[in-house]
Amino acid sequence: MSAASILRLEGVSKSFRGLRAIAEVSFAIEAGSITSIIGPNGAGKSTLFNLVTGYLAPTAGEISFKDRRITGMATNRIAELGVARAFQIARPFRDLTVFENVRIGALFGKAGVRDVEVTVRRSLQLAAIAHLAEQPANTLTVGQLRHLEVARAIATRADLLLADEPCAGLNPTETAAMIDVLRLIRDSGVTVVLVEHDMPSVMEVSDRVLVLDAGALIADGPPHLVASNPQVIAAYLGTPDPSPLPGHSP
Amino acid sequence: MNTSSARLPLLILGGALLLALGPLVLPPFYVRVGQLMLYSAGLGVAWAILGGFAGYGSFGHAAFIGVGAFTAGLVENQFPTLAPALLLLLGLAAGAGACAVISALVAYPILRLRGTFFAIAMLGVCHVCAEVNNNVDFFQGSMGINFAPIAPASMDPAVFFYWLYLAASTIVLLIAWAIWRSRFGAGLLSIREDEDTARMLGVPTERYKRQAFVISAVLTGLLGVIYAHALGYITTDSVYRDDTNLSLIVFSLLGGMGTLFGPVIGAFLLVFVTQVILGRLLDFHLFATGLLLVLLVLMAPGGVIGLVRGWRLRRRSEMVPAE
Repeated sequence: MSAASILRLEGVSKSFRGLRAIAEVSFAIEAGSITSIIGPNGAGKSTLFNLVTGYLAPTAGEISFKDRRITGMATNRIAELGVARAFQIARPFRDLTVFENVRIGALFGKAGVRDVEVTVRRSLQLAAIAHLAEQPANTLTVGQLRHLEVARAIATRADLLLADEPCAGLNPTETAAMIDVLRLIRDSGVTVVLVEHDMPSVMEVSDRVLVLDAGALIADGPPHLVASNPQVIAAYLGTPDPSPLPGHSP
Repeated sequence: MNTSSARLPLLILGGALLLALGPLVLPPFYVRVGQLMLYSAGLGVAWAILGGFAGYGSFGHAAFIGVGAFTAGLVENQFPTLAPALLLLLGLAAGAGACAVISALVAYPILRLRGTFFAIAMLGVCHVCAEVNNNVDFFQGSMGINFAPIAPASMDPAVFFYWLYLAASTIVLLIAWAIWRSRFGAGLLSIREDEDTARMLGVPTERYKRQAFVISAVLTGLLGVIYAHALGYITTDSVYRDDTNLSLIVFSLLGGMGTLFGPVIGAFLLVFVTQVILGRLLDFHLFATGLLLVLLVLMAPGGVIGLVRGWRLRRRSEMVPAE
């Protein structure tokens, strides 16, 4: 295991009443990278995020973050260590403004003193929604809400950002903007792990791709290698040349 | 959170000073109404620290009025020779202590419940406390308990208790303000908005909820102790009251749920309307109050503060042409 790995899973399994959602998954995430986790619906991607953030405790195996065992630790404790998550279905604090939403992240999150105001401004900037600061969260579009999710998550000063389908349902322009934001976040020193369905986005942004199928890891490597892996094609992609998925209208 | 919130304590103290003049100019009936308004406002704010800020609306906070009042009475009566001021302080300390212990014990299991389930479980807690208080002879709930008079002989007790309620409720409001603008307050707010997300952002939700619950219970208990002294004699039925349980929710609904001043506005309004305007209608007044509430919840779910905010927003958007 390389010394630069920030997140490590070893033999992690999760069963729900006998149904195995995650089966002995092991991998390590390198600090400062963008990793995408792909796989068909029900492959266990979201369960994996729930395990890492402590929403669920694994049935077996160990999870460690920055060489510290976090298996079964409370969600807010894991957040204090520096793990943040952006939800697929945005969960803003609806009665608050964008600024106030991000402020909650800046006030809490990773433990330690900080300048809240500065952290909020920088996070809004990084997520490209500084101009929306005073808007009530319930007036935002779906795309803007995704950016808010990301801004609030990085305001916690997390070292690891777990983003759950940040591009789902976005039009091509919005998708491109989100990819830019994710790159900027990576460049600012935050390790990013994505769950994503949108293959062109995955291919473009990822340093590495992990493929889950039926709870098991079936492929792991750079995007172009994974995309041409016959097992992956059979399980997920269906065509050797992943062309843009239809159905996105601006 | 805007910068003007730092000046709020001055506003609160100024308002309290103004209200302190009330008994000097008001006829006796209105001094009594004023007492009830101030007591209700204090209770409403104490309730809102948990119910409004954190969104855990309790339907059984009268439990702490009862526990506070009876503990104070039982303890005070062990020291019949103590000076009135010391007696009150002793009662307040004992009542607060009992409320702190009971709320801290109840907090662990009950705060796992959310929404309606929490509210109803609190109603259960209130009724259990009342039953124990009533049926265990030691607590003297059914035969009642006397409180020594604490108002100075030279002063009208009604005026004395008006000022006592005013002082207590002002302190409760200042504490609520301090919580409101703190990191703790922001954490409670995030719990109300979305508890799971709050936890994911690192908010220690379980600890914060317990702390808010204990603070809310203790402040409610303190007001209960003063209430018992104002009555002079209490039984279980005079403190563990379901109409109080209901009113505490209504104050926030009426004034503005989750706001700092909402419960104050709501308490003033409801007490004034029921005591002064509807007081003469006797039996009809409960019906009228109920009708008022239904209309309010339907037409102004944000309460008075919500109405004012909406009105101000509309004004602003009229002045600035829409893009």
